[in-house]
Amino acid sequence: MWKQRAINETFAKASRYTKNFIMTFKTTIPLNTTEAYIRCRGVSKTYYKGKTTVTPLEALDLDVGRGEFLALMGPSGSGKTTLLNLIAGIDSPSTGELWIGEQNLASLKRGQLTSWRAHNCGYIFQLYHLVPILSAYENVELPLLLDKSLSPKARREKVEMALDLVGLSDRSDHRPTELSGGQEQRVAIARAIVTDPGLLVADEPTGDLDRASATAILELLQELSSKYDKTIVMVTHDAVAAAAAMRTLHLEKGQLAEQATTLKPQTV
Amino acid sequence: MKARHLLGLALKQITRHRVRSALTIAGVATGMFLYASVQTMQSSLAAVTQLGAEDNTLVVYRENRFCPSTSRLPEYYLPEILRIDGVAEAVPIQVTVNNCGASLDVITFRGVPPENLLEYNPDIEVTAGSVEGWIGRSDAALVGENFALRRSLRPGDTFEAVGVRVYVAGVVRSPLAQDNNVAYVHLPFLQQASRVGLGVVTQFNVRVTDASQMEAVADRIDELFAADSAPTNTRPEKAFFAQTARDLIEMIGFTRWLGLGAVLAVLGLVANALLLAARGRIKEGAILQTLGFPRLAVGLIMVWEGALLGLFGGLVGTLGAMAFFHLKRFTLGNEGLTMALTPDWSVSLSGLLLAVILGLIASVWPAIVASTKPVVSSLR
Repeated sequence: MWKQRAINETFAKASRYTKNFIMTFKTTIPLNTTEAYIRCRGVSKTYYKGKTTVTPLEALDLDVGRGEFLALMGPSGSGKTTLLNLIAGIDSPSTGELWIGEQNLASLKRGQLTSWRAHNCGYIFQLYHLVPILSAYENVELPLLLDKSLSPKARREKVEMALDLVGLSDRSDHRPTELSGGQEQRVAIARAIVTDPGLLVADEPTGDLDRASATAILELLQELSSKYDKTIVMVTHDAVAAAAAMRTLHLEKGQLAEQATTLKPQTV
Repeated sequence: MKARHLLGLALKQITRHRVRSALTIAGVATGMFLYASVQTMQSSLAAVTQLGAEDNTLVVYRENRFCPSTSRLPEYYLPEILRIDGVAEAVPIQVTVNNCGASLDVITFRGVPPENLLEYNPDIEVTAGSVEGWIGRSDAALVGENFALRRSLRPGDTFEAVGVRVYVAGVVRSPLAQDNNVAYVHLPFLQQASRVGLGVVTQFNVRVTDASQMEAVADRIDELFAADSAPTNTRPEKAFFAQTARDLIEMIGFTRWLGLGAVLAVLGLVANALLLAARGRIKEGAILQTLGFPRLAVGLIMVWEGALLGLFGGLVGTLGAMAFFHLKRFTLGNEGLTMALTPDWSVSLSGLLLAVILGLIASVWPAIVASTKPVVSSLR
């Protein structure tokens, strides 16, 4: 659940988007938590393209701690997005086990995965993928419509809180076409976090943004990880973006090639 | 997920794609207008040709009649008809029309004894002018409201047709649609004005005491005058219409195919619009599924959209058809018998229901397309 008190405190102290604010939290976060929130064990993914068998991921083992901000890098076709889709539960591994918290996603059927996603995972796309006919408010509200127990008032409060957190309260009536790229991505982040999932996955969230907007988005992701304990897995080609994460993994040909841990994530 | 949320999302898809929705709704409305028009003709035809349990009126014509002008019966038949068992009452009527063929603008004068009008048609209601004004003036006419509207007639006006000039004493409304398209005049006046002469009438309208005796009474009347100078042919009025308007009925029957064509056109139009929308929204469907919307919910948004497009188009089309027939007040006449094309709520409701069902059917395939594409490939 959102911690209203924490948000209020944040507002009382200072602007959330200043570098000093971000750094205050970075220094207090343990990078390698003992509890692994994401556990991949021998995860492979194979699909068929005509008569050709393609294996973008092969026998991959990976642990990601709760509240960790992980960046996945690698050349095109290295399996980054495939891994991200598996972790987000929009695809299933061909073999192996993929645990998110206490749930092995590999054992879930499609309908169960859909339900799991609704409660546990927020997805942030490179091209935002907002529904164009809906306003920012309505886009953020979408995942909450799945929860029958929520009253309209509770739904409104959650949406307003999420938009507030990404600094777009004043743009809630705007349609995606009336927003800048950075603002659209903020709405997409608000949509991803509005159900308060433990896991956020982001597929090149800054890939389509200018440097200033990208910096703001990365700061926001850092804040979500550090302050709200969200586990974030981000695919990126951008070394600057990767530097904002606590740890960076390099994938090559479906396998982990290299791991870089940043004890103190860089200020973006 | 609550159904109303899906309905809300479908409604937003319609209201926020205004041009696409307006064009689709206009197409559905056109198809349903045509369908409702055809159904109005069919139901109006059924109303004047199909006997119901409540029908208890026989019409006595001259045998081998073709048109009112060829049906000449002596008025002195009246007391003999009244003496037959099972006859409750009988009224002699002279009918004069401007056109014996099939026509949309028939002018019909019905000459009835002034003192018998309310017995002949007890449900008649005077909406303007008065019955007293009509009784007190021999050249006066009580004009059916549809007739009055078509000809813009009001009490105090005079008009001339078929060589008969009358003064409008009032406007009347009857639950029988065909009665709203005639002008009631005094029998002796019409007999003289139309030059058939006093003592000659076109028909006798005979009300029987028991509807189950209709056939027996009709046979007795025809037997009674079989050897007379003017043999008769007695049947329910609806049976006469069904016989005389065979060509018309065949033609209206053919319009069923037009109605079917309209239905298929609506089906194709909605299906095409939704399929195009579904293809354009593959990514949107995948996004919703990524957010946790079940495939069924994604498909149901499309189904709701189809139903709503059908509903809106159906509303515009069927209500438009009702308004059109109500305002135009068409009357089809043939051999002096008239059939009013009367808009009917049951036709509108059935049209509306059909439009919604068509929208639902048309949305099934687009819904499958929208909800079954693999999420991962759709997001690329």
